[in-house]
Amino acid sequence: MDYLQKIQYAANSYYNRGLELAHERDLSGAALYLKRALQFNKYHTDARNLLGLIFYELGETSDALIQWVVSINLQPEDNLADHYLDEVQRKPGQLEIASQTIKKYNQALAHAQSGSDDLAVLQLKRIVEEKPNFVKAHLLLSLLYMAHEDYTKAGKSLVKVLHIDQNNPKASRYMEYVKSRTGKADVEKRKLKNAYSHREMQDDDVILPPTYKENTGWQSIINIGIGLFLGVVLVMFMIVPARERSLNSQHNNEMLAYTDKLNLANQEMDRLRKEAEDYQAERAKAEEDLNNLVGDSGSVLVQYQTLAEILDAYRKDDITSAVRLYIDMDASKITNENMMNILTEIQADMAQRAPDVLQSLGEQAAGAGDYDAALHYYEKYMGINDRNPQIIFNMAMIYKAQGDEDTANQLFGQVIMNFSNSELSARAKTERGY
Amino acid sequence: MINFEEEIERFRPSLEVEAVSDTIMKSDITDMADIMMEIMKEIREK
Repeated sequence: MDYLQKIQYAANSYYNRGLELAHERDLSGAALYLKRALQFNKYHTDARNLLGLIFYELGETSDALIQWVVSINLQPEDNLADHYLDEVQRKPGQLEIASQTIKKYNQALAHAQSGSDDLAVLQLKRIVEEKPNFVKAHLLLSLLYMAHEDYTKAGKSLVKVLHIDQNNPKASRYMEYVKSRTGKADVEKRKLKNAYSHREMQDDDVILPPTYKENTGWQSIINIGIGLFLGVVLVMFMIVPARERSLNSQHNNEMLAYTDKLNLANQEMDRLRKEAEDYQAERAKAEEDLNNLVGDSGSVLVQYQTLAEILDAYRKDDITSAVRLYIDMDASKITNENMMNILTEIQADMAQRAPDVLQSLGEQAAGAGDYDAALHYYEKYMGINDRNPQIIFNMAMIYKAQGDEDTANQLFGQVIMNFSNSELSARAKTERGY
Repeated sequence: MINFEEEIERFRPSLEVEAVSDTIMKSDITDMADIMMEIMKEIREK
């Protein structure tokens, strides 16, 4: 027998044991064996499908779906998993309900883990009402009951778990604890002891017959009075509180239902709000992109247009217009590779020829009294070459003429400090009043 | 004796239905047969 065959046999053995335990409703045990079978042979479709069924029976719908989907993927034809998936999805909304139940359980678990036991208990009670086979929810609920020493309710939840999965290790452990706290463990021990022992009747044992005692008229009236009194006490101390509890429980359930609805509505509202915000952000971005492309003077389209006008000015040998257009163009928005090559050539040419043109334009504008335009041309000049004392001096004179003494003096200072040997230095000193 | 705090911490959230496809994508279903085949292939190559 080769190794692979041995592996298949091992997988089959594990599957058989798992199946046996599943028949005995030891679902936890069966799941362990089936998982082991799949570790040996992942193509064991029966083992995988049965494992899915067990998960489904334990209320773990997602785990069941995983096993069945994987099963179909590994064996697409003639596979029972197809039928199971069909069953789960057949009833409209069933999957959605299962999904909501799991979400509620996770929420209840979060409540329990953060110490909000009351909220967790309310939520879990609703969950096990909706999905009575959700073992994990029963176990958590019973643990919370045990933590609050409500062993009767804990015991009831655990009985339900053990009815679904009769050897569930956690449920068995909890049940032992509950029994030890309620004294049932001792009762069971006694019962067990009595089942194997009895005392034979002795000769001197006497069986006493029940006595009959005739009541007098007064005694009857007193007995009726006592009966009425006990009746009233029973109503006051047992029936009324039970009714109150029932009403409270009903009220809590209603509150919880409203809370659930509110939560869902809030979730939906948050989702829609986020969607709206996303759409608004997308719209703003699209508008910005559009503006960048075709909008104001800084737009991409306008820069390409300016580049075309510069080329036209070159063609007409009109360098002054070319410079005027060039200095106001935003070269960073030219990204087309061919255009960038042309732009590089223009930039090289402008570095040589633009300063003279800009100086001339600046002087013309200053002469015409258009100081703002003059400063604009001089600043662009400085962008290309900031070591010309004449330009700095001219700018200083314009600022002085505009009444901006501080800036003017600062610029005169630059001429005096940096170009001390030039003729302009002496003029700058005079202008500053040295 | 049961320590309730520890016991509650041991509970894990249930897998949500929305996470099923993601879990399937991430799941590793390598079995013993795959491992054995791999080993035999390595031996043959040597």
